[in-house]
Amino acid sequence: MIDPQLLVLGLAALSSLFSVIAVYLAIIEKDLVKAVVFSAIQSGLYALLYYILMAPDIVLVYIPVAIGLYPAIILILISKTEKVEKD
Amino acid sequence: MRREFALLSIILFVVSVSLLVSIIAHYIYIPGINIRPLAHIYLNTTYNLVNRNFTANSPEAVTAIVWDYRGLDTVFETTVFYLAIIGSIALGRGLFKFSKSSGETGLSIIVKSVSRITTPMIVTVAVSIALHGHLTPGGGFQGGSTAAVAPLIIIIAFSQYFLIERGISKDLMLVIRSLGLLMIGIVAITAYFIGVFTKTPAFVLQNQAKTVSPVSLPAYLGGQLISGTLWFFNLAEFFAVLAGFTIVILLLVIPERAFKSDVK
Repeated sequence: MIDPQLLVLGLAALSSLFSVIAVYLAIIEKDLVKAVVFSAIQSGLYALLYYILMAPDIVLVYIPVAIGLYPAIILILISKTEKVEKD
Repeated sequence: MRREFALLSIILFVVSVSLLVSIIAHYIYIPGINIRPLAHIYLNTTYNLVNRNFTANSPEAVTAIVWDYRGLDTVFETTVFYLAIIGSIALGRGLFKFSKSSGETGLSIIVKSVSRITTPMIVTVAVSIALHGHLTPGGGFQGGSTAAVAPLIIIIAFSQYFLIERGISKDLMLVIRSLGLLMIGIVAITAYFIGVFTKTPAFVLQNQAKTVSPVSLPAYLGGQLISGTLWFFNLAEFFAVLAGFTIVILLLVIPERAFKSDVK
């Protein structure tokens, strides 16, 4: 039988690993809309991490700001400029 | 191919650094899962009906710390947020003289129907988070930022004219925001003025009675725990944050053609 605490910590480690990948993809992605989506994925994983680290107050402010408001505001700004990053 | 290689190497780097940290941490001090001494102080005093010397009468230690133990910090944080909103309004000054474009606005009927159902739910959850901030995790800022998603969804699904035609304009939001900040200020100095009028020592941002000052705001209202100032702070902060975010979103979605015709 696996220790439940080890399982939760493993989930934390996995989500932090995937968040690094999401950050990398968000940085190298040339399509800015896709980059915003990757950034939102990273924020979702961070929200899970905060929950595992027992900070529910931060989760409640992180989810609406980092997954709702911030990508929406960036998308509005992208819609006023160019959609693809140029070299 | 080069991209996959970079991805693989970054994963390997993270895994090896994590492994290294784990191995090092095995030999040096790592904080245990026991409660630390500082947390002991807060957990013992945040809702203590026996020893009332430093209690905040709130079972939620985080809200008690944010608005009672460290209340001045939060007041100044709110002020900083207010100044940021003022700055963005100053950037978008004189930009509200544009008319509605003809034709259907907003997204498809499917998106509009889903938004009609989900938006009241978002507002309900947000109000619950804000008004139960002194009992469960949450608080004014959390509730306000959750509620600010609702006008954002309305603007994207229905267009901003849906809000403006119903009277939700930048000026109304600014009034609500200023009223929220005014309420925070009034609640902050209430205990002090009670002390002034009753000739007893009291502090600004005081919530419950301390050993040196017996002034205490009511912790229960009609049998319900409101934790003195905390409930009022959460309510005011909820409206202030909701209105602040709504102002920024309303400013950002102004079409550029309105701005260009205004300049000419």
